[in-house]
Amino acid sequence: MKISTKGRLATTTALASIVLIAGMISWANHEVDDANAKRRQTIELTRGLTELRLVTFEYMLNRHERARQQERDVSQRLDRAIAANAFSGPRQSEVVSDLRERSTTSHRIFEELAAADAADADPDSVKRFEAQLSSRLLILQQESLADAFALTDFSTERINAAQQRVVLVIAAGLALIALTTGGGAWLVHRDVLAPIACLEQATREVASGNWNHKLAVVSDDEIGELSRTFDAMTRSLQASFAQIERSNQELAALNQEVEAFSYSVSHDLRGPLRSMDGFSLALLEDYGDKLDDEARDSLQRIRAASQRMGRLIDDLLGLSRVTRVELALKPVNLSEIAREIADSIDQQNPARAVQWVIDPGLTLRADKALLQIAMQNLLENAYKFAGKTEQPVIRVGAIERDGAREYFVADNGVGFDMAYADRLFGAFQRLHHESEFSGTGIGLAIVQRIIRRHGGTIRAEAKPGLGATFFFKLKEQSA
Amino acid sequence: MSDANKTILLVEDNADDVALTLRAFKRSHLMNPIAVARDGVEALDFLFARGDHADRANAPLPTLIILDLKLPKLDGLSVLKALRADDRTRLLPVVILTSSKEEQDLISGYSLGANSYVRKPVDFAEFVEAVKVLGIYWLMMNQSPPERTAP
Repeated sequence: MKISTKGRLATTTALASIVLIAGMISWANHEVDDANAKRRQTIELTRGLTELRLVTFEYMLNRHERARQQERDVSQRLDRAIAANAFSGPRQSEVVSDLRERSTTSHRIFEELAAADAADADPDSVKRFEAQLSSRLLILQQESLADAFALTDFSTERINAAQQRVVLVIAAGLALIALTTGGGAWLVHRDVLAPIACLEQATREVASGNWNHKLAVVSDDEIGELSRTFDAMTRSLQASFAQIERSNQELAALNQEVEAFSYSVSHDLRGPLRSMDGFSLALLEDYGDKLDDEARDSLQRIRAASQRMGRLIDDLLGLSRVTRVELALKPVNLSEIAREIADSIDQQNPARAVQWVIDPGLTLRADKALLQIAMQNLLENAYKFAGKTEQPVIRVGAIERDGAREYFVADNGVGFDMAYADRLFGAFQRLHHESEFSGTGIGLAIVQRIIRRHGGTIRAEAKPGLGATFFFKLKEQSA
Repeated sequence: MSDANKTILLVEDNADDVALTLRAFKRSHLMNPIAVARDGVEALDFLFARGDHADRANAPLPTLIILDLKLPKLDGLSVLKALRADDRTRLLPVVILTSSKEEQDLISGYSLGANSYVRKPVDFAEFVEAVKVLGIYWLMMNQSPPERTAP
């Protein structure tokens, strides 16, 4: 049974008990009122009977016409009171009919007495008749009084019985309400609070990673439904996590393969190139004098190509290493890194004069080794592409853009057409001929990978002949 | 230029690389005898006078071992481990000369007691220069540990 159904049932029971009690009280009230009215009527009857006795005695003592008249009135009133008495029980009805009969008899005897007086009959016989009459009257009236008292007792009894019944019904009703409330509390504890505690415990278990925790609740109420949904959710979560676990393992395996591949590339791919270069040079050295210019040029081309492929392999391995290496985030001084790279570039190229404008105090949170590689590539790029400018200037600084801090490396070199900007960061993508500017086309791909590994982005702005600026931002901006 | 008795053991499986290394030594005017082992097992046989090299008993150990890492049968790092585990070759100078500059190779090489780690450049001119510097340093400038003979 559902909890809501049980709740409705308990509420209905309690309400029914209350209605029952109210009904009983109302019925008892009516009963008592009715009994009281009857009692008042019987008291009225008693008073009438007493009055009738007084009037009868008065007439017998004084023989006044007024007393006779009074007896008639009282008698009529009594008749009306008896007629109005609506006792329904058989015994009461019997008593009432007795009363009616005696009253009629008593009135008839009184009338006979009055008639005898009016006829002025023989005083002796009148006296005898009178004595006979009065004793009969007295007995009748005495009996009537006793009947009236009996009726009063009936009413009193009825009042008492009604009151007793009301007490019983109220007690029973209260007991029923108490039972309903207690039962309800027990049901709430058994069907709601205890299962909720179980559910709470289960939530904790699952949250702490125990996927095998099952509620296995069998009840078919709302909590049972919730528990089954919870179990289903746990199962689906478990499946999802198992899937993720599998994917992770596959990824780890794949990573291992890439690692093995890089290792193999690093060891095995360069050997043949070394042979090509080495034996070409051996030919040139040993037989150079016997070769014509074209043959020597061919051998030089073989050497150049071998060396270029060697650089490509190294750069590709560098690109792959950037992806595999684990990040060690620390506050890094970008200005210092840029300054060191600039100095080293200047040292290697003493013939060229480039103006380096590096803003001081640029700090950010990053992996220092990777950031160094990125800056090396960006600054060497800037240096390379500013090689044909008369007064080359390379700037390193930071700007605020859309509420984020962006770092930039800007040069006033050859720049490029923004139409090709989307190809800029792809591996092996070049926007210039190699004869103009040397390079493998991997440098910016490495830079982008490093920035992305920091959760950042990189973009470029350039104009042909006016230079290029590379802006980058990292996820962690505060150093 | 150098003491002709100072032998070099070149452990290298690639015939081209052997030829180029020998050529580089020649072009650097290093006239020391060079023994070549084609795999890791042969290298250990040579050093400990076993198998095909049993006749080397009592012959002097090489002054320098030039060791490639990727070798058939037994790889360079295992050879190095075996060398360092044996009292006779524990102190023998070993230069790793290989294609890779993978971090894991550098770390393992030095951890196992390599004395030097040189990467073979593709450009043969650079290769000759590297071999020259290497030979001059290890055969002429460096003081070798006290000599021991093979068993």
